[in-house]
Amino acid sequence: MTKEECFFLGKIVKKYSFKGELLIKLDTDEPNLYDDLDAIFIDLRGNLIPFFIERSQLHKSELLRVKFEDVDAEADADALMKCECYLPLTFLPELEDNKFYFHEIIGYKVEDKNFGDVGVIKGVNDSTSQSLFEIDRDGIEILIPMNDEFIEKVDKVNKIIFVDTPEGLIDLYLEE
Amino acid sequence: MARSLKKGPYVHYKLERKVATNVENNKKTVIKTWSRASMITPDFVGQTIAVHNGRQFVPVYVTENMVGHKLGEFSPTRSFRGHAGAKNKGKK
Repeated sequence: MTKEECFFLGKIVKKYSFKGELLIKLDTDEPNLYDDLDAIFIDLRGNLIPFFIERSQLHKSELLRVKFEDVDAEADADALMKCECYLPLTFLPELEDNKFYFHEIIGYKVEDKNFGDVGVIKGVNDSTSQSLFEIDRDGIEILIPMNDEFIEKVDKVNKIIFVDTPEGLIDLYLEE
Repeated sequence: MARSLKKGPYVHYKLERKVATNVENNKKTVIKTWSRASMITPDFVGQTIAVHNGRQFVPVYVTENMVGHKLGEFSPTRSFRGHAGAKNKGKK
Protein backbone atom coordinates (compact mmCIF):
# COMPACT_ATOMS: atom_id res chain seq x y z
CA MET A 1 0.00 0.00 0.00
CA THR A 2 1.43 3.37 -1.02
CA LYS A 3 0.54 6.84 0.22
CA GLU A 4 -1.01 7.64 -3.16
CA GLU A 5 -3.64 4.96 -2.54
CA CYS A 6 -4.44 6.33 0.92
CA PHE A 7 -5.72 9.47 2.55
CA PHE A 8 -4.43 11.19 5.66
CA LEU A 9 -6.62 10.27 8.61
CA GLY A 10 -4.78 12.05 11.40
CA LYS A 11 -1.76 12.14 13.63
CA ILE A 12 -0.96 10.39 16.90
CA VAL A 13 -0.63 13.24 19.36
CA LYS A 14 -0.71 11.80 22.85
CA LYS A 15 -0.49 8.70 24.99
CA TYR A 16 -3.51 7.74 27.06
CA SER A 17 -3.32 5.57 30.18
CA PHE A 18 -0.38 3.28 30.95
CA LYS A 19 -1.74 0.38 28.90
CA GLY A 20 -0.45 1.62 25.55
CA GLU A 21 -3.52 3.51 24.42
CA LEU A 22 -3.03 6.44 22.06
CA LEU A 23 -4.94 9.52 20.97
CA ILE A 24 -5.18 10.28 17.25
CA LYS A 25 -6.09 13.81 16.20
CA LEU A 26 -8.43 13.24 13.27
CA ASP A 27 -8.22 15.47 10.21
CA THR A 28 -11.85 15.18 9.24
CA ASP A 29 -15.14 17.07 9.47
CA GLU A 30 -16.99 13.95 10.58
CA PRO A 31 -15.03 12.07 13.28
CA ASN A 32 -17.90 9.70 14.09
CA LEU A 33 -17.35 7.91 10.74
CA TYR A 34 -14.03 6.58 12.03
CA ASP A 35 -14.79 5.41 15.57
CA ASP A 36 -15.24 1.76 14.63
CA LEU A 37 -12.25 0.81 12.47
CA ASP A 38 -10.58 -2.60 12.31
CA ALA A 39 -7.16 -1.43 11.24
CA ILE A 40 -5.25 1.64 10.12
CA PHE A 41 -1.94 2.26 8.40
CA ILE A 42 0.76 4.07 10.32
CA ASP A 43 3.64 5.81 8.58
CA LEU A 44 6.79 4.41 10.17
CA ARG A 45 9.99 5.74 8.56
CA GLY A 46 8.26 6.24 5.23
CA ASN A 47 6.53 2.85 5.11
CA LEU A 48 2.85 2.29 5.75
CA ILE A 49 2.48 -0.45 8.35
CA PRO A 50 -0.98 -1.88 9.17
CA PHE A 51 -1.95 -1.87 12.85
CA PHE A 52 -4.99 -3.77 14.04
CA ILE A 53 -7.31 -2.03 16.45
CA GLU A 54 -8.45 -3.82 19.58
CA ARG A 55 -10.85 -1.08 20.64
CA SER A 56 -11.46 2.56 19.87
CA GLN A 57 -13.75 5.38 20.89
CA LEU A 58 -14.08 9.08 20.27
CA HIS A 59 -12.43 11.26 22.86
CA LYS A 60 -13.65 14.84 23.17
CA SER A 61 -14.41 16.43 19.79
CA GLU A 62 -11.83 15.34 17.24
CA LEU A 63 -9.62 12.84 19.04
CA LEU A 64 -9.85 9.08 18.62
CA ARG A 65 -8.71 6.96 21.58
CA VAL A 66 -7.22 3.75 20.21
CA LYS A 67 -5.83 0.55 21.65
CA PHE A 68 -3.76 -1.32 19.07
CA GLU A 69 -3.08 -5.05 19.18
CA ASP A 70 0.40 -5.83 20.55
CA VAL A 71 0.84 -2.31 21.89
CA ASP A 72 0.38 -3.00 25.56
CA ALA A 73 2.81 -0.75 27.34
CA GLU A 74 3.83 2.87 27.41
CA ALA A 75 7.18 2.02 25.84
CA ASP A 76 5.43 0.46 22.80
CA ALA A 77 3.20 3.51 22.52
CA ASP A 78 6.22 5.83 22.64
CA ALA A 79 7.48 4.34 19.37
CA LEU A 80 4.27 5.42 17.61
CA MET A 81 4.09 8.95 18.96
CA LYS A 82 3.80 11.77 16.39
CA CYS A 83 3.28 9.25 13.55
CA GLU A 84 0.79 9.93 10.78
CA CYS A 85 -2.18 7.60 10.21
CA TYR A 86 -3.67 6.68 6.86
CA LEU A 87 -6.62 4.76 5.47
CA PRO A 88 -7.18 3.42 1.93
CA LEU A 89 -9.11 5.77 -0.40
CA THR A 90 -11.81 3.11 -0.73
CA PHE A 91 -12.81 3.82 2.89
CA LEU A 92 -14.04 7.29 2.01
CA PRO A 93 -17.83 7.56 1.85
CA GLU A 94 -19.18 8.95 -1.42
CA LEU A 95 -20.22 12.57 -1.24
CA GLU A 96 -23.40 13.85 -2.79
CA ASP A 97 -24.40 17.04 -4.60
CA ASN A 98 -21.66 19.63 -4.95
CA LYS A 99 -19.45 18.18 -2.24
CA PHE A 100 -16.10 16.65 -3.19
CA TYR A 101 -12.80 15.50 -1.77
CA PHE A 102 -9.76 17.57 -2.69
CA HIS A 103 -7.89 14.59 -4.16
CA GLU A 104 -10.73 13.55 -6.47
CA ILE A 105 -11.02 16.86 -8.35
CA ILE A 106 -7.44 16.85 -9.61
CA GLY A 107 -7.70 16.71 -13.40
CA TYR A 108 -11.24 18.09 -13.49
CA LYS A 109 -12.04 20.79 -16.06
CA VAL A 110 -13.30 24.17 -14.89
CA GLU A 111 -15.91 26.08 -16.87
CA ASP A 112 -16.85 29.63 -16.03
CA LYS A 113 -20.33 30.97 -16.70
CA ASN A 114 -19.03 34.05 -18.51
CA PHE A 115 -15.50 33.12 -19.57
CA GLY A 116 -16.07 29.54 -20.75
CA ASP A 117 -13.35 26.90 -20.50
CA VAL A 118 -10.83 28.03 -17.86
CA GLY A 119 -8.46 25.07 -17.64
CA VAL A 120 -7.67 21.93 -15.72
CA ILE A 121 -7.32 21.68 -11.93
CA LYS A 122 -3.77 20.70 -11.05
CA GLY A 123 -4.05 21.09 -7.31
CA VAL A 124 -5.77 22.56 -4.31
CA ASN A 125 -4.06 25.16 -2.15
CA ASP A 126 -5.33 24.73 1.38
CA SER A 127 -2.55 26.60 3.16
CA THR A 128 -4.80 29.61 3.74
CA SER A 129 -8.09 29.75 5.60
CA GLN A 130 -9.85 29.85 2.24
CA SER A 131 -8.89 26.97 -0.05
CA LEU A 132 -8.10 27.76 -3.67
CA PHE A 133 -8.41 25.82 -6.93
CA GLU A 134 -5.05 25.84 -8.72
CA ILE A 135 -5.95 25.73 -12.40
CA ASP A 136 -3.54 25.24 -15.25
CA ARG A 137 -4.33 27.08 -18.48
CA ASP A 138 -1.59 26.52 -21.05
CA GLY A 139 1.12 26.94 -18.41
CA ILE A 140 -0.56 29.89 -16.67
CA GLU A 141 -1.68 29.33 -13.09
CA ILE A 142 -5.16 30.63 -12.26
CA LEU A 143 -6.42 30.72 -8.67
CA ILE A 144 -10.11 30.62 -7.84
CA PRO A 145 -11.41 30.65 -4.25
CA MET A 146 -13.23 27.47 -3.30
CA ASN A 147 -16.44 29.05 -2.17
CA ASP A 148 -20.09 28.07 -2.41
CA GLU A 149 -20.77 31.49 -3.92
CA PHE A 150 -18.60 30.63 -6.91
CA ILE A 151 -19.25 26.91 -7.39
CA GLU A 152 -22.44 26.35 -9.36
CA LYS A 153 -22.32 22.64 -10.10
CA VAL A 154 -19.95 19.70 -9.87
CA ASP A 155 -20.40 17.22 -12.71
CA LYS A 156 -18.60 14.13 -11.44
CA VAL A 157 -19.53 12.02 -14.46
CA ASN A 158 -17.92 14.32 -17.03
CA LYS A 159 -15.36 15.67 -14.53
CA ILE A 160 -16.31 19.31 -14.92
CA ILE A 161 -16.77 21.99 -12.26
CA PHE A 162 -19.03 24.88 -13.29
CA VAL A 163 -18.18 28.17 -11.61
CA ASP A 164 -19.48 31.72 -11.69
CA THR A 165 -16.51 33.92 -10.87
CA PRO A 166 -16.71 37.69 -10.37
CA GLU A 167 -15.79 39.92 -13.28
CA GLY A 168 -12.06 40.29 -13.80
CA LEU A 169 -10.88 37.33 -11.74
CA ILE A 170 -9.65 35.16 -14.59
CA ASP A 171 -8.45 38.12 -16.67
CA LEU A 172 -6.24 39.07 -13.72
CA TYR A 173 -3.96 36.12 -14.47
CA LEU A 174 -4.17 36.29 -18.24
CA GLU A 175 -3.05 39.95 -18.26
CA GLU A 176 0.16 39.23 -16.31
CA MET B 1 1.07 49.08 21.00
CA ALA B 2 -2.44 48.97 19.53
CA ARG B 3 -3.54 51.56 16.98
CA SER B 4 -5.35 54.57 18.40
CA LEU B 5 -9.14 54.18 18.35
CA LYS B 6 -9.42 57.83 17.40
CA LYS B 7 -7.88 57.11 13.98
CA GLY B 8 -10.07 54.10 13.19
CA PRO B 9 -8.88 51.05 11.24
CA TYR B 10 -6.22 51.51 8.56
CA VAL B 11 -7.50 50.98 5.01
CA HIS B 12 -5.55 52.27 2.03
CA TYR B 13 -7.49 55.21 0.59
CA LYS B 14 -7.52 53.84 -2.97
CA LEU B 15 -8.76 50.45 -1.83
CA GLU B 16 -11.43 52.09 0.32
CA ARG B 17 -12.54 54.15 -2.68
CA LYS B 18 -12.75 51.11 -4.97
CA VAL B 19 -14.75 49.10 -2.44
CA ALA B 20 -17.12 52.04 -1.93
CA THR B 21 -17.65 52.31 -5.71
CA ASN B 22 -18.40 48.58 -5.96
CA VAL B 23 -20.84 48.72 -3.05
CA GLU B 24 -22.56 51.83 -4.44
CA ASN B 25 -23.04 50.25 -7.87
CA ASN B 26 -23.85 46.84 -6.38
CA LYS B 27 -21.00 45.28 -8.38
CA LYS B 28 -18.70 42.42 -7.49
CA THR B 29 -15.71 43.24 -9.70
CA VAL B 30 -12.39 41.91 -8.43
CA ILE B 31 -10.25 44.62 -6.79
CA LYS B 32 -6.48 44.33 -7.09
CA THR B 33 -4.40 45.56 -4.17
CA TRP B 34 -0.86 45.52 -2.87
CA SER B 35 -1.98 46.89 0.48
CA ARG B 36 -1.65 43.84 2.71
CA ALA B 37 -1.78 45.96 5.84
CA SER B 38 -5.30 47.23 5.16
CA MET B 39 -7.88 46.02 7.60
CA ILE B 40 -11.05 44.28 6.41
CA THR B 41 -14.06 46.40 7.33
CA PRO B 42 -17.73 45.32 7.14
CA ASP B 43 -18.02 47.07 3.72
CA PHE B 44 -15.69 44.45 2.24
CA VAL B 45 -18.02 41.50 2.94
CA GLY B 46 -19.08 39.82 -0.30
CA GLN B 47 -16.32 41.46 -2.35
CA THR B 48 -13.41 39.59 -3.93
CA ILE B 49 -10.05 41.24 -3.30
CA ALA B 50 -6.93 40.08 -5.16
CA VAL B 51 -4.13 40.53 -2.62
CA HIS B 52 -0.55 40.50 -3.89
CA ASN B 53 1.85 38.18 -2.07
CA GLY B 54 5.02 39.38 -3.77
CA ARG B 55 4.71 36.89 -6.62
CA GLN B 56 1.10 36.79 -7.69
CA PHE B 57 -2.38 37.96 -6.74
CA VAL B 58 -4.28 35.66 -4.41
CA PRO B 59 -8.06 36.11 -4.64
CA VAL B 60 -9.81 36.44 -1.29
CA TYR B 61 -13.58 36.23 -1.12
CA VAL B 62 -14.37 38.27 2.00
CA THR B 63 -16.74 36.72 4.50
CA GLU B 64 -18.11 38.07 7.78
CA ASN B 65 -15.63 36.24 9.98
CA MET B 66 -12.70 37.94 8.22
CA VAL B 67 -13.74 41.39 9.44
CA GLY B 68 -11.10 42.90 11.70
CA HIS B 69 -8.26 40.91 10.15
CA LYS B 70 -5.73 42.31 7.70
CA LEU B 71 -5.78 41.36 4.02
CA GLY B 72 -2.22 39.99 4.15
CA GLU B 73 -3.30 37.25 6.53
CA PHE B 74 -5.17 35.56 3.68
CA SER B 75 -2.41 35.74 1.10
CA PRO B 76 0.63 33.80 2.36
CA THR B 77 4.04 34.87 1.09
CA ARG B 78 5.76 31.56 1.72
CA SER B 79 4.76 27.97 1.03
CA PHE B 80 5.76 25.32 3.55
CA ARG B 81 7.18 22.27 1.82
CA GLY B 82 8.23 20.23 4.86
CA HIS B 83 11.35 20.20 6.96
CA ALA B 84 14.72 19.55 5.32
CA GLY B 85 15.47 16.44 7.37
CA ALA B 86 12.08 14.80 6.91
CA LYS B 87 12.88 13.42 3.42
CA ASN B 88 15.81 11.32 4.65
CA LYS B 89 14.02 9.88 7.66
CA GLY B 90 13.07 6.66 5.88
CA LYS B 91 16.55 5.89 4.55
CA LYS B 92 18.83 3.80 6.75
